[in-house]
This record gives sequence, structure tokens and C-alpha cells, in this order.
Amino acid sequence: MMMTRLEATRRLIALLTDQPVVASLGHPAYDLFEAGDRPENFYTWGSMGLASSIGLGLAMAQPERRVVVLDGDGSLLMNLGSLATIATAAPPNLVVIVWDNELYGTTGGQPTATATGADLARAAQALGIPEVVTVREAKTFDKAVRRALADPGPWVIVAKVGESGVATKPPLDSPMIKRRFMAAIGSPE
Amino acid sequence: MSASSTLKATWAGEVCRGLATLKIRDVVYVPDNPLSHVLHALGVDHPDIRTTIATREEEAFGIAAGLYLGGIRPAVMLQSSGLGNSINALASLDVAFEIPVLMLITMRGGDGEWNPTQQPMGRAVRPILDALGIPHVTIESDGGAESLVRHAGEQAFATHRPGACLLARKLWSPKAVS
Repeated sequence: MMMTRLEATRRLIALLTDQPVVASLGHPAYDLFEAGDRPENFYTWGSMGLASSIGLGLAMAQPERRVVVLDGDGSLLMNLGSLATIATAAPPNLVVIVWDNELYGTTGGQPTATATGADLARAAQALGIPEVVTVREAKTFDKAVRRALADPGPWVIVAKVGESGVATKPPLDSPMIKRRFMAAIGSPE
Repeated sequence: MSASSTLKATWAGEVCRGLATLKIRDVVYVPDNPLSHVLHALGVDHPDIRTTIATREEEAFGIAAGLYLGGIRPAVMLQSSGLGNSINALASLDVAFEIPVLMLITMRGGDGEWNPTQQPMGRAVRPILDALGIPHVTIESDGGAESLVRHAGEQAFATHRPGACLLARKLWSPKAVS
């Protein structure tokens, strides 16, 4: 049975320890906050499309940490070139989870191209990402996340999910989010 | 621009010394012809500074923001046209979150520019940076390039905001007057 994005986010949080998580703006960030606010969460609030790029930079800066990105299908479609850059840089510690609900959930539910057949997992493979998996249910999601947190990547996990309709939102104080995040992962400022 | 001038650009060596003094360890860029001067100087004199090519300029600012969050001082290099591709990244990520980055922008447009499509964005660079509250300096000669880069970077990293060094075309193009 298909998970909602919130259910999948709760499952992810249960599998994490202190790994930093970069969440794309809108619903992926709202669900992350609802599932478990923690200082290692970076809620983007803006810059649609750049979550995987931020994750790449973070993974390059801290190769000893596993870095998790929560992207959306609409957001990743805005920055597909990021997958080529990630494949070229090839950080083994980067895990990009794409919540693929086949719609622009934050802006009113308009269909994305994945609703009409675009396959982001095949795109990731074609652009050179070595570890790609598509999951559709809780059991396979947990298994993929466990592997991605342990084995060398970079990883792209395309998780087919349903909308969750979360209303709670993370704090709007973006400099605070940044300072809290950097302190939690030991970055000097 | 000849191959030999590419290899011996004094301004590029000065710019790279500025980056090294600032302890910048990563440079993310979208290629531009004059940037090959900088990339050559980095490769020869500063092999410890890592360079990464992005597919698009706003992506480069995303990667740079991640590097900074991870504890590394980044620079982003781009052509003036690419600033147009980067505006929302600079506004909603770097400025809003107070994430600093040093920008090196090779300028197009102005007198002597052969490509008319470069004129509008070239004219818009400074007004856009001003509108975003991003300080900028223009480097027009070999002398002093290192200190201009250093000051722009020190200000950016001290105030947690982006800062830009605009590289004037006359550095590499004798016909350019701006």
C-alpha cells in the first residue's frame, strides 16, 4: 500500500541518528518538521530546485557524514542538471530521496511530468548516478534507506508517495535555522 | 584572446592569491572564456583549492551554500549573463539565510562588446546586485586585484552576506573600454 509523504518521512526519521537532512521548500519541509524537528534539519523555505545542490555541497564539505536530501518531483525537475553534477562529483555520502507524488503539492496539486510518464529514476541512471532505486511501499522504503545510509553512493531513492496535507510549518527565522544547523553539524561560523 | 595570454594573465594570478588568502577551499563555476585564466592560475599555484563545474549558475550557488553550511568558505565564478540565472538563489538562499559567498563575475556588454545579446544583462548586473543589497567592486587592472578580492571576501564572510567582484573586460580584451 502506498505511503503518504508524512508516513515515509516519519519512517526516515526513525532510521536516522545525527545525519543532516536538507528539505526542499514547501510540503517536504513541512512534513520533516512535523515528523521530527531536530537541529540537523535544514528547511529551505525558498530557492526551489536547489535542495540536491545544497546537499551536494554539504556532502563535499563533510565527507565523513551521510547527508540526506528530501526533494520533490517538481523541484528536481527544475534542476535535473544537479543529478549530472552529483554523478560527476560522486560523493559516496550523499542520499537524495525524491518524494514523487506526481504533482506540485505545495502549489495546489497541478500535475508534474511524472504523472504522464517521466521517470526520475531512469533519468538519474542516465545521468550517471550509480545507486538508484524506486520504492512504492513502507517495507522497500526502509530497506532502501538502510542501504543508502550504510553503503557508498551517491544514492537517489525515488519514493512514490501520496500527499499528506500537513498544515504545520517550520520556523520562518531562516538565519536561526542556519545557525542551529551549522552548530549541530560542527561547522564554524 | 590568445592561448599565450591565457597562460600569463597577471590579474588572474592576483585574484587567485586573494582567494587563497581568504582561505577559500572550493570554487564552483560555470565556465566562461576569461575564467580559463583563473582556472589555470588555480591549477598551477593553488592545487589545494578544489574546483567544481555546475550545469547552471543557480545550481552553483546551491552547491556553494551547502559547502558553507558544511564549514568551507566557497567562491562562485560566473559570467555576467549567469547572474540572471541566479537571482532567486541569491535572494532566497544566500541573502535570506545569511549565507556568504564570494562571487567572481566576468563582465560582458559595454563598449566594444561584439555580441548585442550580452548588452542588456551586462547593464543590469550592478542594479540587480544593488537591489539585493549585495556589495560589489570592479577589478579593472592587474594592480590591486588581490586586495580588492580580499576585501570583498572579508566583508562577505564577516557580515554573512554575498559579495561580488566584477572582472572588467579590459583585463583580457584590449578593445574593451569598460
